[in-house]
Amino acid sequence: MRNIFLIILFIFFIPAQLVMASAEREINIYKNIRCLVCQGQSLNDSNSDFAVDLKKVIKKKIIKKQTDQEIYKYLTERYGDWILLSPPLKKNTILLWIIPTLFAILGAIFLIKRVQLAFLNKDN
Amino acid sequence: MISNLGAVLLIVSFLTTCSTLFLYIKNNIIQKSSIYLQFFLFYKVSFYLILFSFFVLIVCFAISDFSIISVYENSHTDKPLFYKISAAWGNHEGSMLLFILVISLYGILFLLNSKNINDSLRACTIFFQSIIQLIFLSFLIFTSNPFSKIFPVPVQGLGLNPILQDPLLAIHPPFLYLGYVGFSLVFSLLLASLILKQYNSRWASIAKKWIMLPWSFLSFGIGLGSFWAYYELGWGGYWFWDPVENASLMPWIASTALIHSIVVMEKLKKLFAWTAILTILTFILSLFGTFLVRSGVLNSVHAFANDPERGVYILFIITIITLGSLIIYILKFPKESANNNSFTLFSRDFSILLNNYFLIFILTVVIVGTTYPILLSVFTGETISVGPQYYNTILAPFIFIFLILMAIGPLMKWNGKPPILIKQKIFSFFIVSVFLTILISLYLSGYNFIFLLGVMCSVYLIVSVFYEIVMNKKFFSTKQNFSRLFSHLGFGLLILAITLNHFFSKEINAKLHLGESFFKQGIKINFLKSESSKEKNFEELFGIYKITKDNKTFILKPSVRKYKQPQQFTSETSIQRDGLSDVYIAMDYAGDPSMGMGVRFYYNYFVRLIWISFALITIGGIVSFVRRGNEKTI
Amino acid sequence: MKKPFKISLLVSVTVISFVIFYYSLKANNKNNPNIMLNKPLPAIELTSLVNANLKQELPLINRDKYYLINIWSSWCVPCREEHPILMKLKDKIKIYGINYKDKKTNATAFLNKLGNPFYFTGSDKDGSISIEIGAYGIPETYVVNSQGLIIFKHVGPLNKKIYLRISKIIK
Repeated sequence: MRNIFLIILFIFFIPAQLVMASAEREINIYKNIRCLVCQGQSLNDSNSDFAVDLKKVIKKKIIKKQTDQEIYKYLTERYGDWILLSPPLKKNTILLWIIPTLFAILGAIFLIKRVQLAFLNKDN
Repeated sequence: MISNLGAVLLIVSFLTTCSTLFLYIKNNIIQKSSIYLQFFLFYKVSFYLILFSFFVLIVCFAISDFSIISVYENSHTDKPLFYKISAAWGNHEGSMLLFILVISLYGILFLLNSKNINDSLRACTIFFQSIIQLIFLSFLIFTSNPFSKIFPVPVQGLGLNPILQDPLLAIHPPFLYLGYVGFSLVFSLLLASLILKQYNSRWASIAKKWIMLPWSFLSFGIGLGSFWAYYELGWGGYWFWDPVENASLMPWIASTALIHSIVVMEKLKKLFAWTAILTILTFILSLFGTFLVRSGVLNSVHAFANDPERGVYILFIITIITLGSLIIYILKFPKESANNNSFTLFSRDFSILLNNYFLIFILTVVIVGTTYPILLSVFTGETISVGPQYYNTILAPFIFIFLILMAIGPLMKWNGKPPILIKQKIFSFFIVSVFLTILISLYLSGYNFIFLLGVMCSVYLIVSVFYEIVMNKKFFSTKQNFSRLFSHLGFGLLILAITLNHFFSKEINAKLHLGESFFKQGIKINFLKSESSKEKNFEELFGIYKITKDNKTFILKPSVRKYKQPQQFTSETSIQRDGLSDVYIAMDYAGDPSMGMGVRFYYNYFVRLIWISFALITIGGIVSFVRRGNEKTI
Repeated sequence: MKKPFKISLLVSVTVISFVIFYYSLKANNKNNPNIMLNKPLPAIELTSLVNANLKQELPLINRDKYYLINIWSSWCVPCREEHPILMKLKDKIKIYGINYKDKKTNATAFLNKLGNPFYFTGSDKDGSISIEIGAYGIPETYVVNSQGLIIFKHVGPLNKKIYLRISKIIK
């Protein structure tokens, strides 16, 4: 009896997980798309007309089982890369993150050299 | 025709500046004091000519002389007088004239306030200042003449963008220019001292106020711009990492590093190279910012008349000035001074060196984020935008560490011996900050890790400042460095306010019909009624909204304005104070009104503390050059 | 580092930066938000505003040399402003109108009052058709050629300058 109960629970659990996962996927997509008529907000944050309409369009595509990439491609074909909020981590924008990191590392190296010099002075 | 007078004045000023330079070059071997008098006189004359030329421009705008192209393009007889006048510098040509006026003004201010400086240094400084003045005058006269005429004379102007018809925005450019254009003077002073071999700690003592003055104006100007964006743009935000905003931030960061560096140079005769490079960098960044804003290379709501051709000229100017100044630096930097650059670890000067590293890193991030879209479009043709997410993600951890360093640094002494109780102080600040952070966290139910870190680090700095103020027995003695205390306190409060605002502000979007209410997140918005009114150049439709939050009621009256010339709609926000926070609402004019009037409501948590912080930072700067202690002679 | 070396390094870096930014000025003019220029118009099916059984598919291939698509609605004030220009254009070129998120009664009243420049008016009740062709705010106007390529797109109300430009394109 208990086993059957557990099996039934398990059977309902999976779709529930899937539903939650897909709702999360939907929201993650919305968070990554810029609302074009707002000031730097994502579709997820905005309730403007355009945002609401675009969300409906995207939702239809999710239901039609399109992948994230297909959906992003659809949008960038029409609105440019600009519509994706976080600069896509493509090889194009990797420099955006690498350059400051390089500077930080360089700075740290120079600084450590100074600190070492300072330690030597301190002992003097 | 009065406009002709303006053009003539410009040309005469141009010639006078040329003569000034010629005179200097001709006579710099002979150092007779009478030559200096004549030289300074010529310079003063060129200033007055520019000043009068600027007044003439204002008069032309005030009387709506549409025979002048810039008046025609930017004004209208229906404009209120105040905005007719501010339109004079609200366009590219007029603002360039203001730009040159500020260059010249700083030259004159320097002349009047440099009696303790030897004449050859003064003259050489004015020489370089005149070169800069001349370069921009040529740019103005030959490519962007504010007095260019149009024929036949139009009957009416094309009007001014209604968004520019705002009192704060009207005074914002003059403050910014008094800021970043003002760095031209310390730049000239630097080059002069290098050439004349007077670049030393006495120079640093003199130069300091010529950094503090523009820095204070720039701080105020940036704060003003942020405040304007907040109440005008209607998105509840105050900083968007917009490239044009960044253009003013870059020289601010560089000059902040410079301020710290020059103090070390003056007191301990170290960091000579840092100071010189930062001085040049600050001015170049100011010019670069000018380029970004005017050349059409940026897509931004702020950007001026986009003219790539002018952009090329500005780019060329920047290149010349950069090359010239850096070549002078390479050739003339006093080698001997570089030998004294050893630091002891727990000294205040070492912490300033550390501070410079952090500031340069922050500056790099801002430069990279701002120029990356431009460079990417050159190399790949793609357009992307770099938004607040990028800056917040990279900068947050560094700023948190930076706050701690700002608190610990001033605890140390210049001579490098760590003071007796320093470890106890550092630790006790930590205890107090953690305690206060826990209190704040519990009161607000805020448990986000970044939030807690941000609060703790900013409170740490704030606690250290209060400690210093309270514990120093001679409260008004000259030993108290109020300048540093105010500015550092301001910065700590700023980060605290930003953190609180980021995590606890609320935003509600709704569509309401007349009489309808909407309730969400503990806030009720009720659309009571609407009213309309008519002004000289626009019609206005008000919405009266009642906001209820935590048993408090606010009545807000946002509006939509329909301007006539040019035909444009704007949405005006309505803001009410709630402690240090704001209740804020704006109406949406796009969308089908039969579906209800769209509103954007924001509860901006602790936003007023942000304005207070900006003010404190600025006051710190002002205090510094008002209390000029022991300034040396050179 | 020797001085001449430093100076030549400085000069090269500066000149290279100058060149890069110089090109950025040139490049920027090409990069205006018209990602869809010279790309094919995505396929859409419009249902007539007046007769729900009448449908029109776009793009049209190999029919007219050029045609216009204009997205508008009765409640949109700038649409009211550009309307006279549309009326002028209607004699030069076929205009397909997309009535965006509007009520049929209001739309027809609008056209009756101000004139109908549209060869065919389709209705886009939920805004999805406009999104399909990359619009985000109204009014928007497209010029499409006989190959189905978008050769011009303007966001915002038409004005005299744009009218002249379009007239030139469609000659």
